[in-house]
Amino acid sequence: MRLWVHRAHLAGLLALAAVAACRREGRAARGDGALTVVDDAGRRVELRAPARRIVSLSPAVTELLFALGAGDRVVGRTTWCDFPPAARAVPSVGDGMNPNIEAVAARRPDLVVLYRSPLNGTAARQLERLGIAGVLVRQDRLEDAARAARLLGRLTGLEVSGDSLAASIERLLANPRPPPHISVAFVVWDNPPMVIGGGSYLDELATLAGARNVFHDVGSASATVAIETIAARDPDAIVVLSDTAPAPPPSFAGRREWQAVRAVRERRLVQLTGSLYGRPNPRAAQAVAELRRLLAAPGAGGAGGARGAGRVR
Amino acid sequence: MKWLGLGLVALLSFALAVLLGPAHVPLAELARSDIVRSLRLPRAILAFLVGGSLALSGASLQALVRNPLADPFLLGLSGGAGLGAVLAIALHLAGPWVLPLAAFGGALFAMALVYRLGLVGGAELDPRVLILAGVAVGAFASAVTTAIVSLSDATELRNAFLWLWGGLSGASWDTVVVMAVYAPLPVLVLLAAARPLDLLALGEEPARHLGADVVPLKRRVYVAASLLTAAAVAVSGVIGFVGLVVPHAMRTLWGHRHRPLLPACFVGGGALLALSDTVARVAVAPRELPVGIVTALIGVPVFALMLRRWSAT
Repeated sequence: MRLWVHRAHLAGLLALAAVAACRREGRAARGDGALTVVDDAGRRVELRAPARRIVSLSPAVTELLFALGAGDRVVGRTTWCDFPPAARAVPSVGDGMNPNIEAVAARRPDLVVLYRSPLNGTAARQLERLGIAGVLVRQDRLEDAARAARLLGRLTGLEVSGDSLAASIERLLANPRPPPHISVAFVVWDNPPMVIGGGSYLDELATLAGARNVFHDVGSASATVAIETIAARDPDAIVVLSDTAPAPPPSFAGRREWQAVRAVRERRLVQLTGSLYGRPNPRAAQAVAELRRLLAAPGAGGAGGARGAGRVR
Repeated sequence: MKWLGLGLVALLSFALAVLLGPAHVPLAELARSDIVRSLRLPRAILAFLVGGSLALSGASLQALVRNPLADPFLLGLSGGAGLGAVLAIALHLAGPWVLPLAAFGGALFAMALVYRLGLVGGAELDPRVLILAGVAVGAFASAVTTAIVSLSDATELRNAFLWLWGGLSGASWDTVVVMAVYAPLPVLVLLAAARPLDLLALGEEPARHLGADVVPLKRRVYVAASLLTAAAVAVSGVIGFVGLVVPHAMRTLWGHRHRPLLPACFVGGGALLALSDTVARVAVAPRELPVGIVTALIGVPVFALMLRRWSAT
C-alpha cells in the first residue's frame, strides 16, 4: 500500500513536469492544439492541447475512452470501472459519485470527465480552481453515449474515431424498431420494488430488442412501485441486473408475495450483467443482440415458452 | 362511544386497504382476485399489526422513560436493524428471510447494548441514561452502517438503506403469520403493565411506595416494547411517526390512564398505518410513496386537530 502511494506520488511529480512542458509548448504554438468545447451542462471548457492525462469519474466514460483508443491516457477511474479489463489496471480514485477532489488532483490530470449531476457540477468548479479542466457529460440514454463519443473525441484529438463511434451508435438508434414480441419489467430492487421506467437506457435497449417495458409510461429512469402493480401489468418476463456473472437467481423470486407475479411464478427471469446493460456504452449493439436472444430463449417466455431460468452472462 | 368511533375508523381503514390499490379489481371479483388474496389482504393485516405494535411500544416507552418525545426507535433499534441488514448483504448471505432475520438480530443487539449501558449509572434503567445510551448506540450503528456502505463495492449495498425504509412492500401471508404468532406475547406483557405504568408516571419513588415493583416492571416493559419493535422492523423496516404521535393523539381522547390508553393505541396505530399504506399505494399510482412520509402527512394534521380540541376543553 505504502509502496503504491510512493510510486503514485513519483509518477505524479513526473507527470506534473511533463504537463508543464506541454503547456509551455501549447502556449508557444498558440491556436495550434488549443480547443474549446461546450459540455452537457452548457459550460465552456478550454484545453490548451488535446488531453494527455484523463481521470474518468464514470464507468461509461472509461469504456468510451478505451474504445476511442485513448485508454493509455486514462490515469484515474472509479471503483465501478470494470470494462474493458485493462481499465482495472488504472488506479481508482473513489466511487465517482461524490469525488474526492484531492485524490483526483493527485493523479495530475489535465482533464477530468464527470457524470452530469449537481454534486459533480460543484466538483468541476473546484477542479477548475486548481487549473484542471472538468467536463460534465450526460450518461442516461444511448444518444448521450453518441454525443459523449464526439465530445471525448475532440477533447483527446481523436475526432475521427470519436465520430465513427458516435455514428455507429446513431445507426443503431436509427434502425427501425422491431414490433414488440414480449413484455418485460426490469426489477432492480425488490424491497421496496423498484423498476426501470421510460426515461432510461434500459428501456431504450428493450425497445431496440423488440421488448415492451411495461413501465414505459413511468417517465423517470426508475421508480418505486407496489408488487400489485407489477402483477397487474403482468410482464412475460422479469429482467434483473447483477454485478457478477453468472449470478444466483434473485432471492426475491423465492418469496411468497412475489408469487402473485406470473413471470416470477413461472420463473421467467432473465439476468443481465450490470457492466454491459447498466449504462450507455459503445457495446450497445451487442447488448441489444444479446437481450433479443435471451428474451427469445425458452425460459424467458418468448418463442418456446418452456419453463426454466433463462440466465446467461 | 369513543370506542365505537375508533372501531369504525379502524374497520373503514382496513376496508379501504383491501378495496383500493393501484390495480383495478372490480368489486364482484374481489373475493376471487389473486391480487387481493395474496397481496392486499396480507398487506392490510400486516399494516394493522405493525402500526398497532409501534403505537403500543411508543406509548409504553413514553411512560417508561417519562418523556413525551420517546418513540419505539429512540433506543437505537433502527440503527441496529440497519446495521444487521447491511452486514447480511455485505457478507453475501442469501435467502428470502436473511434480511428480516439480520435486521431483527441487529435490533436485538442494539437493545442489549443499550440495556447494558443503562446499567452504568448504578440505578438500573435510569430513564436519562437509557435515552442517552439509545441515541449513542443508534448513532454509532448508523455510522458503522454508512461506513460499510460507502467503502464496499457491491451495488446491492447502495440499496440496503432502501430496504430499511421499504415499508410494507414485503408483506405476505408468511410475514403475517410470523407477526401474528410473535406479537401477542409482548403485546400482552405491555397491556398487563398498564396499572403499574400509571403508578410509574408519578415518579419512581412514589410508585415504589404505592407497591409497584419498579425495577422488574421497567425491565419487562423495556424488553417487551423492544422485542415488539424489533419484529416490526424486521417485517416492514423503519416506519416513523406512528409510535410517536398515535399515543399522544389517543391521550387527548382517553387521558393518561394506561388501562384504556394502551389498547386504544394499538387499534389507533393499526388504523393509521393501514390508511397511510393505502394512500402510499394509490396516491401517485403506478408509483408508490414511502409509507413513512404518508404517516406524517396524515398523522400531523389529525394530531393538530385533536390537540386543539383537547386544549379547548
